[in-house]
Amino acid sequence: MNDASLHLNLLQDDERFGSSPVRARVMIPLLAVLAVVGLGVWWLLLIARVGNATNEKTLLETHCAELKPAHDQVLALRAREKEARAAVSQLGFYRTARIRFGDVLGHLPQHVPASIQFTELRVPPPPLQPPPDPALKVKPLGPTNLTETVSLRIVGRASSGTSSEAIRSLLEALRKPAFTNLVRKAEIPKGAFRQDIARGPAARENILFEISCDCGERRFE
Amino acid sequence: MKDAPFALNKLSPPVRMALGVVGAALIIGLAVVVFGIKPARERIKTLTAEVAQLNAKHVSMKADITGTQKQRTATEVAEATLKDILDEGVIEPLLGSFAMRGKSLMDPLAKETGFTIANVKEERLIPLQVPKPPPQQLYARQLVEFTGYGAYTQIVAFVQAAERAFPLAVVSGLRIEHQMSTPERHKATITFEWPVKGEKRK
Repeated sequence: MNDASLHLNLLQDDERFGSSPVRARVMIPLLAVLAVVGLGVWWLLLIARVGNATNEKTLLETHCAELKPAHDQVLALRAREKEARAAVSQLGFYRTARIRFGDVLGHLPQHVPASIQFTELRVPPPPLQPPPDPALKVKPLGPTNLTETVSLRIVGRASSGTSSEAIRSLLEALRKPAFTNLVRKAEIPKGAFRQDIARGPAARENILFEISCDCGERRFE
Repeated sequence: MKDAPFALNKLSPPVRMALGVVGAALIIGLAVVVFGIKPARERIKTLTAEVAQLNAKHVSMKADITGTQKQRTATEVAEATLKDILDEGVIEPLLGSFAMRGKSLMDPLAKETGFTIANVKEERLIPLQVPKPPPQQLYARQLVEFTGYGAYTQIVAFVQAAERAFPLAVVSGLRIEHQMSTPERHKATITFEWPVKGEKRK
């Protein structure tokens, strides 16, 4: 018996099917189309979300526009409050820097011995403000110094004899509580206690003096 | 090309069709992603941020509006405090002159105390230190110099009366000079300062 068999292949290459039940040439295009459909659906969903978000935005804008007049009113009130507080604060600097001379000047005669005569009593005016630094790009709105020193200068003459005691007692008086409110330090500058030689021989018996009082400082803060 | 192993004409029509469909799907898919999905996602991102911002603004506006009454009270209190200080002695020029304003304020006190005012002069305007935050309307110190004559007690009484009558008036300069011809009557140059409205900030 001859078992030789003849194998005939009558199929063309493109007519050949694979053994797999899933045909790639069908499934791949199908999956591709499905993917495109999926992308399309995703796009549509995104468009819907864009629409919703746009609506929500429009709605919020309308609400905000409706609230604007009332809100502007609150903002105006807030700005007015801020302005008033800032002005109060600036004027507060002035208030805290106030200084009073009336009482001190009023008490002074009680402590001046009879042998002393004042010829001048002086409180120098506030110093001139320094010009703004040209290197500064932004000019400051106000002075940058927070303090201003205040002083009182008493110039007088005393008849000789007990003049040094009289002047010392005046100096001591200026250090008493009636004055310490204003006068922080009182002293006779070097060379300010001297003989009166300018007004002729008759006046030589008189002693000239000067008392310089440090009245602390005005603090603008 | 004709003899290339993957030449299209060598492929069977169904395969060619499949390839065509896949190619078209790729092109369409890419177009959908590039021209549709990507811009839409970006738009959503922008819109979401805008909506969130608007939402926050809306909530804040509502909260602000709810507090209107409270804010009105706070504003009124602050303005009343300012008005009290202004009334206390922030002066305004009289027909453009601070000297004349000062004279009009001080003349009655001078008469009352016996101090004779001989001359009134408008002096320097010193800007006042500025707080943080600064006000729009800035304030300054206006110096007004009064020259006059009187006995020491009259001069002091004048200063005391001014300090009592005008709590914001400050003696910022003083010079009492002994006069040889009139030992009981001195020349006094008193510089008072008052707070005044200064520049308006831009």
